[in-house]
Amino acid sequence: MDSKNIGTVIFGGNVNENPSRLADLLMDVFLLEPDEYSLDLSKADVDTWDSLGTVAMAVGIQEEFGYHLSPEEAIGIESVQDIIHILTEEGVEFD
Amino acid sequence: MREIEGFSILEESDGIEALDSAWDGPETFIFLPERSGIKDDWLFTQLREVPSHYRRERFCLLTSGSTGEPKLVFGVRQRTENLARTLHLAQNSEHVRTTVLTLPLTYSFAFVNQWVWARVHNRRLGLTNGLSDARKLAKVLDETQDSMICLVGAQIPLLSRTLGESSFEGVIRVHFAGGPFPESELPTIHKMFPRAEIYNNYGCAEAMPRLTLRKAEISDVPNDVGPPLEGVRLRITDTGDIEFQSEYRVDAQISESQFEPINDEEWFPSGDKGEIAGNGHLILHGRSNAVFKRYGEKISLMQLSKRVGEVWGSPAMFYNETDGSGEPGHVLVLSPIPEREEVLEILRVLRNNFPRAHWPLRIEALDEVPLLPNGKEDIALISNNPSKIVLWTQRI
Repeated sequence: MDSKNIGTVIFGGNVNENPSRLADLLMDVFLLEPDEYSLDLSKADVDTWDSLGTVAMAVGIQEEFGYHLSPEEAIGIESVQDIIHILTEEGVEFD
Repeated sequence: MREIEGFSILEESDGIEALDSAWDGPETFIFLPERSGIKDDWLFTQLREVPSHYRRERFCLLTSGSTGEPKLVFGVRQRTENLARTLHLAQNSEHVRTTVLTLPLTYSFAFVNQWVWARVHNRRLGLTNGLSDARKLAKVLDETQDSMICLVGAQIPLLSRTLGESSFEGVIRVHFAGGPFPESELPTIHKMFPRAEIYNNYGCAEAMPRLTLRKAEISDVPNDVGPPLEGVRLRITDTGDIEFQSEYRVDAQISESQFEPINDEEWFPSGDKGEIAGNGHLILHGRSNAVFKRYGEKISLMQLSKRVGEVWGSPAMFYNETDGSGEPGHVLVLSPIPEREEVLEILRVLRNNFPRAHWPLRIEALDEVPLLPNGKEDIALISNNPSKIVLWTQRI
Protein backbone atom coordinates (compact mmCIF):
# COMPACT_ATOMS: atom_id res chain seq x y z
CA MET A 1 0.00 0.00 0.00
CA ASP A 2 1.72 3.20 -1.16
CA SER A 3 -0.32 6.13 0.03
CA LYS A 4 2.04 8.83 -1.25
CA ASN A 5 2.07 7.62 -4.82
CA ILE A 6 -1.63 7.01 -5.03
CA GLY A 7 -2.37 10.36 -3.38
CA THR A 8 -0.08 12.07 -5.86
CA VAL A 9 -1.65 10.33 -8.81
CA ILE A 10 -5.10 11.43 -7.74
CA PHE A 11 -4.45 14.88 -6.39
CA GLY A 12 -1.04 15.83 -7.68
CA GLY A 13 -0.03 18.06 -10.54
CA ASN A 14 3.24 18.33 -12.39
CA VAL A 15 5.69 16.55 -10.08
CA ASN A 16 8.70 18.12 -11.82
CA GLU A 17 7.93 21.71 -11.00
CA ASN A 18 8.52 22.79 -7.43
CA PRO A 19 5.96 25.64 -7.37
CA SER A 20 3.27 23.22 -8.54
CA ARG A 21 4.42 20.59 -6.09
CA LEU A 22 4.21 23.07 -3.24
CA ALA A 23 0.80 24.31 -4.39
CA ASP A 24 -0.53 20.73 -4.62
CA LEU A 25 0.89 19.92 -1.21
CA LEU A 26 -0.62 22.94 0.54
CA MET A 27 -4.00 22.54 -1.19
CA ASP A 28 -3.98 18.91 -0.05
CA VAL A 29 -2.88 19.64 3.53
CA PHE A 30 -5.23 22.57 4.12
CA LEU A 31 -8.02 21.31 1.81
CA LEU A 32 -7.91 24.48 -0.27
CA GLU A 33 -9.81 25.02 -3.49
CA PRO A 34 -7.51 25.88 -6.43
CA ASP A 35 -8.77 29.46 -6.50
CA GLU A 36 -7.93 29.91 -2.82
CA TYR A 37 -4.25 29.24 -3.33
CA SER A 38 -1.74 31.88 -4.33
CA LEU A 39 1.90 32.67 -3.66
CA ASP A 40 0.67 35.51 -1.43
CA LEU A 41 -1.33 33.21 0.80
CA SER A 42 -0.74 33.69 4.51
CA LYS A 43 -1.66 31.66 7.57
CA ALA A 44 -4.28 34.24 8.52
CA ASP A 45 -6.13 33.58 5.24
CA VAL A 46 -6.53 29.85 5.89
CA ASP A 47 -8.98 28.60 8.53
CA THR A 48 -7.51 25.10 8.39
CA TRP A 49 -3.92 26.28 9.07
CA ASP A 50 -4.08 25.36 12.74
CA SER A 51 -1.51 23.62 14.94
CA LEU A 52 -2.31 20.16 13.56
CA GLY A 53 -2.24 21.66 10.08
CA THR A 54 1.26 22.96 10.78
CA VAL A 55 2.35 19.42 11.75
CA ALA A 56 0.77 18.00 8.58
CA MET A 57 2.46 20.70 6.48
CA ALA A 58 5.85 19.90 8.03
CA VAL A 59 5.42 16.18 7.32
CA GLY A 60 4.33 17.00 3.77
CA ILE A 61 7.36 19.23 3.15
CA GLN A 62 9.64 16.43 4.30
CA GLU A 63 7.84 13.94 2.04
CA GLU A 64 7.79 16.19 -1.00
CA PHE A 65 11.05 18.15 -0.69
CA GLY A 66 13.12 16.03 1.68
CA TYR A 67 13.65 18.88 4.14
CA HIS A 68 12.92 18.35 7.82
CA LEU A 69 11.58 21.56 9.34
CA SER A 70 12.56 22.09 12.97
CA PRO A 71 9.59 22.70 15.31
CA GLU A 72 10.65 26.36 15.60
CA GLU A 73 10.77 26.76 11.82
CA ALA A 74 7.40 25.08 11.34
CA ILE A 75 5.69 27.21 14.00
CA GLY A 76 7.36 30.35 12.62
CA ILE A 77 6.01 29.91 9.09
CA GLU A 78 3.35 32.54 8.44
CA SER A 79 2.96 32.37 4.67
CA VAL A 80 3.69 30.50 1.47
CA GLN A 81 6.55 32.94 0.90
CA ASP A 82 8.11 31.87 4.21
CA ILE A 83 8.08 28.23 3.03
CA ILE A 84 9.60 29.19 -0.32
CA HIS A 85 12.28 31.19 1.48
CA ILE A 86 13.25 28.26 3.75
CA LEU A 87 13.27 25.74 0.92
CA THR A 88 15.21 28.07 -1.39
CA GLU A 89 17.91 28.38 1.26
CA GLU A 90 18.05 24.58 1.25
CA GLY A 91 18.66 24.59 -2.49
CA VAL A 92 15.13 23.96 -3.74
CA GLU A 93 14.54 26.15 -6.80
CA PHE A 94 11.29 28.04 -7.20
CA ASP A 95 12.11 30.26 -10.16
CA MET B 1 -24.99 -32.33 17.80
CA ARG B 2 -22.55 -33.01 20.63
CA GLU B 3 -22.43 -32.49 24.38
CA ILE B 4 -19.92 -30.51 26.44
CA GLU B 5 -20.13 -30.11 30.21
CA GLY B 6 -23.74 -31.34 30.11
CA PHE B 7 -24.80 -28.81 27.44
CA SER B 8 -26.07 -29.84 23.99
CA ILE B 9 -24.10 -28.02 21.32
CA LEU B 10 -26.11 -27.27 18.17
CA GLU B 11 -24.85 -25.81 14.96
CA GLU B 12 -27.00 -24.33 12.24
CA SER B 13 -26.33 -27.31 9.97
CA ASP B 14 -28.09 -29.54 12.51
CA GLY B 15 -31.31 -28.14 11.06
CA ILE B 16 -34.54 -26.56 12.23
CA GLU B 17 -35.90 -29.82 13.65
CA ALA B 18 -32.92 -30.16 15.98
CA LEU B 19 -33.42 -26.58 17.08
CA ASP B 20 -37.13 -27.19 17.72
CA SER B 21 -36.32 -30.30 19.68
CA ALA B 22 -33.70 -28.49 21.80
CA TRP B 23 -36.16 -25.68 22.51
CA ASP B 24 -38.81 -28.19 23.61
CA GLY B 25 -36.40 -29.97 25.95
CA PRO B 26 -35.72 -28.86 29.50
CA GLU B 27 -31.97 -28.33 29.26
CA THR B 28 -30.12 -25.20 28.25
CA PHE B 29 -28.50 -25.62 24.83
CA ILE B 30 -25.75 -23.77 23.00
CA PHE B 31 -26.46 -22.65 19.42
CA LEU B 32 -23.31 -21.87 17.43
CA PRO B 33 -22.69 -20.52 13.94
CA GLU B 34 -21.18 -22.70 11.24
CA ARG B 35 -17.39 -22.49 11.11
CA SER B 36 -17.34 -20.28 14.20
CA GLY B 37 -13.79 -21.32 14.93
CA ILE B 38 -14.87 -22.03 18.51
CA LYS B 39 -12.95 -24.98 19.91
CA ASP B 40 -14.47 -27.54 22.26
CA ASP B 41 -11.68 -26.81 24.77
CA TRP B 42 -12.74 -23.16 24.86
CA LEU B 43 -16.37 -24.15 25.41
CA PHE B 44 -15.39 -26.57 28.15
CA THR B 45 -13.50 -23.80 29.96
CA GLN B 46 -16.41 -21.39 29.61
CA LEU B 47 -19.17 -23.78 30.62
CA ARG B 48 -17.74 -25.71 33.54
CA GLU B 49 -18.61 -23.01 36.13
CA VAL B 50 -22.25 -22.50 35.05
CA PRO B 51 -24.53 -22.97 38.11
CA SER B 52 -27.25 -25.60 37.85
CA HIS B 53 -30.04 -22.98 37.82
CA TYR B 54 -28.80 -21.72 34.45
CA ARG B 55 -28.58 -25.19 32.95
CA ARG B 56 -32.34 -25.35 32.34
CA GLU B 57 -34.92 -23.45 30.28
CA ARG B 58 -32.36 -21.25 28.57
CA PHE B 59 -30.44 -21.07 25.33
CA CYS B 60 -27.01 -19.75 24.73
CA LEU B 61 -25.78 -17.71 21.77
CA LEU B 62 -22.30 -16.54 20.87
CA THR B 63 -21.64 -12.85 20.48
CA SER B 64 -18.63 -10.58 20.41
CA GLY B 65 -17.86 -8.78 23.64
CA SER B 66 -16.68 -5.18 23.93
CA THR B 67 -13.10 -6.44 23.74
CA GLY B 68 -13.82 -8.30 20.51
CA GLU B 69 -13.42 -11.61 22.33
CA PRO B 70 -16.33 -14.00 21.87
CA LYS B 71 -18.72 -14.37 24.78
CA LEU B 72 -21.76 -16.48 25.51
CA VAL B 73 -25.10 -14.97 26.54
CA PHE B 74 -27.88 -16.91 28.28
CA GLY B 75 -31.36 -16.14 26.97
CA VAL B 76 -34.41 -17.26 28.93
CA ARG B 77 -36.80 -19.09 26.61
CA GLN B 78 -39.99 -17.82 28.22
CA ARG B 79 -38.76 -14.23 28.09
CA THR B 80 -37.76 -14.57 24.46
CA GLU B 81 -41.15 -15.99 23.53
CA ASN B 82 -42.71 -13.02 25.32
CA LEU B 83 -40.57 -10.69 23.23
CA ALA B 84 -41.73 -12.46 20.07
CA ARG B 85 -45.32 -11.69 21.14
CA THR B 86 -44.47 -8.07 21.87
CA LEU B 87 -42.75 -7.74 18.49
CA HIS B 88 -45.71 -9.34 16.74
CA LEU B 89 -47.98 -6.55 17.97
CA ALA B 90 -45.47 -3.70 17.65
CA GLN B 91 -44.49 -4.76 14.13
CA ASN B 92 -48.08 -5.33 13.03
CA SER B 93 -47.20 -8.87 11.94
CA GLU B 94 -50.57 -10.60 12.12
CA HIS B 95 -50.88 -10.74 8.32
CA VAL B 96 -47.40 -12.18 7.83
CA ARG B 97 -47.57 -15.87 6.85
CA THR B 98 -43.90 -16.63 6.17
CA THR B 99 -40.55 -15.24 7.29
CA VAL B 100 -37.75 -15.54 4.75
CA LEU B 101 -34.33 -16.26 6.24
CA THR B 102 -31.29 -14.54 4.76
CA LEU B 103 -29.21 -14.16 7.93
CA PRO B 104 -27.74 -16.93 10.09
CA LEU B 105 -30.20 -18.01 12.77
CA THR B 106 -27.40 -17.86 15.31
CA TYR B 107 -27.56 -14.07 14.95
CA SER B 108 -29.86 -13.00 17.79
CA PHE B 109 -31.86 -10.67 15.51
CA ALA B 110 -32.80 -13.45 13.09
CA PHE B 111 -33.12 -15.99 15.89
CA VAL B 112 -35.79 -14.01 17.76
CA ASN B 113 -37.40 -11.89 15.04
CA GLN B 114 -37.76 -14.88 12.74
CA TRP B 115 -37.32 -18.33 14.22
CA VAL B 116 -38.81 -17.75 17.69
CA TRP B 117 -41.50 -15.48 16.25
CA ALA B 118 -42.47 -18.10 13.63
CA ARG B 119 -42.58 -20.80 16.29
CA VAL B 120 -44.68 -18.82 18.75
CA HIS B 121 -47.13 -17.64 16.08
CA ASN B 122 -47.17 -20.81 14.03
CA ARG B 123 -45.83 -19.19 10.87
CA ARG B 124 -43.69 -20.70 8.12
CA LEU B 125 -39.95 -20.29 7.61
CA GLY B 126 -38.74 -19.54 4.09
CA LEU B 127 -35.33 -21.21 3.96
CA THR B 128 -32.68 -19.78 1.63
CA ASN B 129 -28.91 -19.79 1.44
CA GLY B 130 -28.86 -16.05 1.99
CA LEU B 131 -27.11 -13.76 -0.44
CA SER B 132 -24.66 -16.49 -1.43
CA ASP B 133 -27.39 -18.02 -3.62
CA ALA B 134 -29.25 -15.07 -5.09
CA ARG B 135 -31.25 -17.23 -7.49
CA LYS B 136 -32.73 -19.32 -4.69
CA LEU B 137 -33.40 -16.24 -2.59
CA ALA B 138 -35.22 -14.56 -5.48
CA LYS B 139 -37.25 -17.74 -6.08
CA VAL B 140 -38.31 -17.96 -2.43
CA LEU B 141 -39.17 -14.25 -2.34
CA ASP B 142 -41.15 -14.62 -5.57
CA GLU B 143 -43.09 -17.64 -4.38
CA THR B 144 -44.00 -16.52 -0.88
CA GLN B 145 -46.99 -14.36 -0.21
CA ASP B 146 -47.39 -12.05 2.77
CA SER B 147 -43.84 -12.60 3.88
CA MET B 148 -41.33 -10.89 6.11
CA ILE B 149 -37.61 -10.52 5.51
CA CYS B 150 -34.98 -9.49 8.06
CA LEU B 151 -31.82 -7.76 6.86
CA VAL B 152 -28.96 -5.56 7.92
CA GLY B 153 -28.32 -2.30 6.08
CA ALA B 154 -25.08 -3.47 4.49
CA GLN B 155 -27.01 -6.15 2.58
CA ILE B 156 -29.05 -3.70 0.52
CA PRO B 157 -26.31 -2.74 -1.98
CA LEU B 158 -25.50 -6.44 -2.35
CA LEU B 159 -29.15 -7.37 -2.81
CA SER B 160 -29.53 -4.61 -5.33
CA ARG B 161 -26.51 -5.86 -7.25
CA THR B 162 -27.41 -9.55 -7.14
CA LEU B 163 -31.17 -9.25 -7.69
CA GLY B 164 -30.98 -6.35 -10.12
CA GLU B 165 -34.24 -4.55 -10.86
CA SER B 166 -36.39 -7.31 -9.35
CA SER B 167 -39.22 -6.35 -7.08
CA PHE B 168 -41.02 -8.65 -4.70
CA GLU B 169 -44.70 -7.94 -4.21
CA GLY B 170 -45.15 -10.79 -1.75
CA VAL B 171 -42.97 -9.21 0.91
CA ILE B 172 -45.06 -7.11 3.25
CA ARG B 173 -42.55 -6.50 6.08
CA VAL B 174 -38.87 -5.62 5.85
CA HIS B 175 -36.94 -5.44 9.10
CA PHE B 176 -33.48 -4.02 9.62
CA ALA B 177 -31.29 -4.60 12.63
CA GLY B 178 -28.54 -2.53 14.01
CA GLY B 179 -27.67 1.06 14.71
CA PRO B 180 -28.62 3.82 12.31
CA PHE B 181 -31.46 3.09 9.91
CA PRO B 182 -30.17 2.80 6.31
CA GLU B 183 -32.06 5.95 5.32
CA SER B 184 -30.12 6.52 2.12
CA GLU B 185 -31.20 3.07 0.86
CA LEU B 186 -34.92 3.74 1.29
CA PRO B 187 -35.66 4.37 -2.42
CA THR B 188 -33.97 1.06 -3.30
CA ILE B 189 -35.83 -0.76 -0.52
CA HIS B 190 -39.20 0.65 -1.64
CA LYS B 191 -38.49 -0.32 -5.23
CA MET B 192 -37.46 -3.84 -4.28
CA PHE B 193 -40.28 -4.39 -1.80
CA PRO B 194 -43.08 -2.08 -3.01
CA ARG B 195 -45.79 -3.43 -0.65
CA ALA B 196 -43.68 -3.69 2.48
CA GLU B 197 -43.86 -1.82 5.73
CA ILE B 198 -40.29 -1.12 6.75
CA TYR B 199 -38.95 -1.18 10.30
CA ASN B 200 -35.66 -0.67 12.05
CA ASN B 201 -34.89 -2.78 15.12
CA TYR B 202 -32.25 -1.50 17.51
CA GLY B 203 -30.78 -3.65 20.25
CA CYS B 204 -27.90 -5.88 21.22
CA ALA B 205 -27.37 -9.56 21.95
CA GLU B 206 -27.54 -8.93 25.72
CA ALA B 207 -31.02 -7.44 25.26
CA MET B 208 -31.88 -10.67 23.42
CA PRO B 209 -32.06 -8.67 21.35
CA ARG B 210 -34.48 -5.79 20.80
CA LEU B 211 -34.72 -2.48 22.63
CA THR B 212 -36.44 -0.02 20.29
CA LEU B 213 -38.49 -0.16 17.11
CA ARG B 214 -38.85 2.48 14.44
CA LYS B 215 -41.19 2.36 11.48
CA ALA B 216 -39.21 3.89 8.60
CA GLU B 217 -41.61 6.74 7.95
CA ILE B 218 -41.74 8.13 11.49
CA SER B 219 -38.44 9.96 11.07
CA ASP B 220 -35.98 10.94 8.38
CA VAL B 221 -33.04 10.96 10.77
CA PRO B 222 -31.00 7.74 10.37
CA ASN B 223 -29.83 7.65 13.99
CA ASP B 224 -33.38 8.03 15.34
CA VAL B 225 -34.09 4.40 16.25
CA GLY B 226 -37.52 5.07 17.70
CA PRO B 227 -39.11 4.57 21.10
CA PRO B 228 -38.39 1.62 23.43
CA LEU B 229 -40.54 -1.47 23.14
CA GLU B 230 -43.06 -2.18 25.85
CA GLY B 231 -41.17 -3.82 28.73
CA VAL B 232 -37.91 -1.99 27.96
CA ARG B 233 -36.55 0.96 29.94
CA LEU B 234 -33.68 3.13 28.76
CA ARG B 235 -31.46 5.68 30.42
CA ILE B 236 -28.41 7.69 29.44
CA THR B 237 -25.45 7.86 31.82
CA ASP B 238 -23.42 10.98 32.57
CA THR B 239 -20.92 9.83 29.97
CA GLY B 240 -23.63 9.49 27.33
CA ASP B 241 -23.76 5.68 27.35
CA ILE B 242 -27.09 3.98 26.75
CA GLU B 243 -28.17 1.55 29.47
CA PHE B 244 -31.27 -0.60 29.59
CA GLN B 245 -33.47 -2.80 31.69
CA SER B 246 -35.69 -5.24 29.87
CA GLU B 247 -38.18 -7.99 30.60
CA TYR B 248 -36.67 -9.95 27.73
CA ARG B 249 -32.94 -9.69 28.17
CA VAL B 250 -30.41 -12.39 28.95
CA ASP B 251 -29.96 -13.25 32.60
CA ALA B 252 -26.31 -14.31 32.47
CA GLN B 253 -23.23 -14.14 30.32
CA ILE B 254 -19.81 -15.71 30.19
CA SER B 255 -17.32 -13.01 29.36
CA GLU B 256 -13.56 -13.58 29.40
CA SER B 257 -14.22 -16.99 30.96
CA GLN B 258 -16.14 -15.49 33.90
CA PHE B 259 -19.74 -16.53 34.49
CA GLU B 260 -21.75 -13.39 35.36
CA PRO B 261 -25.41 -13.48 36.37
CA ILE B 262 -27.32 -10.32 35.34
CA ASN B 263 -29.93 -9.20 37.85
CA ASP B 264 -33.22 -7.76 36.66
CA GLU B 265 -32.57 -4.51 38.57
CA GLU B 266 -29.19 -4.04 36.93
CA TRP B 267 -28.83 -1.36 34.24
CA PHE B 268 -26.89 -2.94 31.42
CA PRO B 269 -24.91 -1.02 28.73
CA SER B 270 -26.06 -1.44 25.13
CA GLY B 271 -22.56 -0.61 23.88
CA ASP B 272 -23.70 2.63 22.23
CA LYS B 273 -23.86 6.26 23.17
CA GLY B 274 -26.97 8.33 22.61
CA GLU B 275 -29.68 10.60 23.94
CA ILE B 276 -33.40 10.35 24.51
CA ALA B 277 -35.25 13.00 22.52
CA GLY B 278 -38.26 14.94 23.78
CA ASN B 279 -40.61 12.58 21.90
CA GLY B 280 -39.10 9.57 23.73
CA HIS B 281 -37.17 8.34 20.70
CA LEU B 282 -33.66 7.07 21.21
CA ILE B 283 -31.08 8.97 19.15
CA LEU B 284 -27.83 7.09 18.64
CA HIS B 285 -24.50 8.90 18.75
CA GLY B 286 -22.43 5.88 17.84
CA ARG B 287 -20.75 2.87 19.34
CA SER B 288 -19.18 3.62 22.68
CA ASN B 289 -15.80 3.07 21.01
CA ALA B 290 -16.91 5.31 18.11
CA VAL B 291 -17.14 8.38 20.33
CA PHE B 292 -13.75 9.40 21.66
CA LYS B 293 -11.52 12.36 22.33
CA ARG B 294 -8.78 13.36 19.94
CA TYR B 295 -6.54 16.30 20.82
CA GLY B 296 -9.24 17.37 23.27
CA GLU B 297 -11.99 17.30 20.60
CA LYS B 298 -14.91 14.91 21.09
CA ILE B 299 -15.23 12.86 17.92
CA SER B 300 -18.46 11.08 16.96
CA LEU B 301 -17.92 8.75 14.03
CA MET B 302 -21.68 8.61 13.54
CA GLN B 303 -21.84 12.38 13.07
CA LEU B 304 -18.97 12.18 10.61
CA SER B 305 -20.65 9.31 8.83
CA LYS B 306 -23.89 11.26 8.56
CA ARG B 307 -22.14 14.23 6.93
CA VAL B 308 -20.11 12.06 4.60
CA GLY B 309 -23.34 10.27 3.66
CA GLU B 310 -24.76 13.55 2.37
CA VAL B 311 -22.33 13.49 -0.55
CA TRP B 312 -21.41 9.79 -0.73
CA GLY B 313 -24.35 7.44 -1.20
CA SER B 314 -22.40 4.17 -1.09
CA PRO B 315 -20.93 2.34 1.91
CA ALA B 316 -18.61 4.40 4.13
CA MET B 317 -17.03 2.83 7.22
CA PHE B 318 -14.58 3.86 9.88
CA TYR B 319 -11.99 1.95 11.81
CA ASN B 320 -9.88 3.19 14.70
CA GLU B 321 -6.15 3.79 14.51
CA THR B 322 -3.75 5.87 16.59
CA ASP B 323 -1.78 8.60 14.83
CA GLY B 324 1.96 9.21 14.94
CA SER B 325 1.62 11.07 18.24
CA GLY B 326 -0.24 8.22 19.90
CA GLU B 327 -3.61 10.02 19.82
CA PRO B 328 -6.69 7.94 18.97
CA GLY B 329 -7.87 8.55 15.43
CA HIS B 330 -9.95 7.02 12.68
CA VAL B 331 -9.68 6.00 9.04
CA LEU B 332 -12.53 6.42 6.56
CA VAL B 333 -13.06 3.57 4.08
CA LEU B 334 -15.24 4.03 0.99
CA SER B 335 -16.60 1.40 -1.32
CA PRO B 336 -16.60 1.11 -4.26
CA ILE B 337 -13.56 3.14 -5.31
CA PRO B 338 -14.75 6.71 -5.88
CA GLU B 339 -14.02 9.18 -8.63
CA ARG B 340 -11.55 11.97 -7.85
CA GLU B 341 -14.30 14.60 -7.71
CA GLU B 342 -16.26 12.51 -5.22
CA VAL B 343 -13.27 12.40 -2.87
CA LEU B 344 -12.79 16.15 -3.22
CA GLU B 345 -16.46 16.64 -2.32
CA ILE B 346 -16.00 14.56 0.84
CA LEU B 347 -12.93 16.61 1.73
CA ARG B 348 -14.97 19.80 1.25
CA VAL B 349 -17.59 18.43 3.63
CA LEU B 350 -14.91 17.69 6.21
CA ARG B 351 -13.35 21.13 5.89
CA ASN B 352 -16.68 22.96 6.02
CA ASN B 353 -18.18 21.06 8.96
CA PHE B 354 -15.42 19.77 11.22
CA PRO B 355 -12.17 20.97 12.76
CA ARG B 356 -9.07 19.12 11.60
CA ALA B 357 -8.97 16.82 14.64
CA HIS B 358 -12.22 15.28 13.36
CA TRP B 359 -10.85 14.56 9.91
CA PRO B 360 -9.84 10.95 9.27
CA LEU B 361 -6.18 10.06 9.29
CA ARG B 362 -6.69 8.65 5.79
CA ILE B 363 -9.40 8.08 3.25
CA GLU B 364 -9.12 4.60 1.79
CA ALA B 365 -11.20 2.66 -0.70
CA LEU B 366 -12.11 -0.93 -1.46
CA ASP B 367 -13.85 -2.46 -4.46
CA GLU B 368 -16.12 -4.46 -2.19
CA VAL B 369 -16.96 -4.42 1.50
CA PRO B 370 -16.09 -7.71 3.24
CA LEU B 371 -19.02 -8.83 5.39
CA LEU B 372 -19.34 -11.09 8.42
CA PRO B 373 -21.69 -14.08 8.20
CA ASN B 374 -24.41 -12.00 9.90
CA GLY B 375 -24.18 -9.42 7.11
CA LYS B 376 -22.41 -6.76 9.15
CA GLU B 377 -19.24 -5.15 7.88
CA ASP B 378 -16.08 -7.06 8.81
CA ILE B 379 -14.12 -4.14 10.28
CA ALA B 380 -11.10 -6.32 11.12
CA LEU B 381 -10.82 -7.44 7.50
CA ILE B 382 -11.51 -3.93 6.20
CA SER B 383 -8.69 -2.43 8.28
CA ASN B 384 -6.19 -5.11 7.26
CA ASN B 385 -7.22 -5.51 3.64
CA PRO B 386 -4.17 -5.57 1.34
CA SER B 387 -6.27 -4.62 -1.69
CA LYS B 388 -7.42 -1.27 -0.33
CA ILE B 389 -5.96 1.91 -1.76
CA VAL B 390 -5.27 5.23 -0.05
CA LEU B 391 -6.93 8.24 -1.65
CA TRP B 392 -5.91 10.94 0.80
CA THR B 393 -3.82 11.13 3.93
CA GLN B 394 -3.72 13.78 6.61
CA ARG B 395 0.03 13.34 7.13
CA ILE B 396 -0.08 13.33 10.94
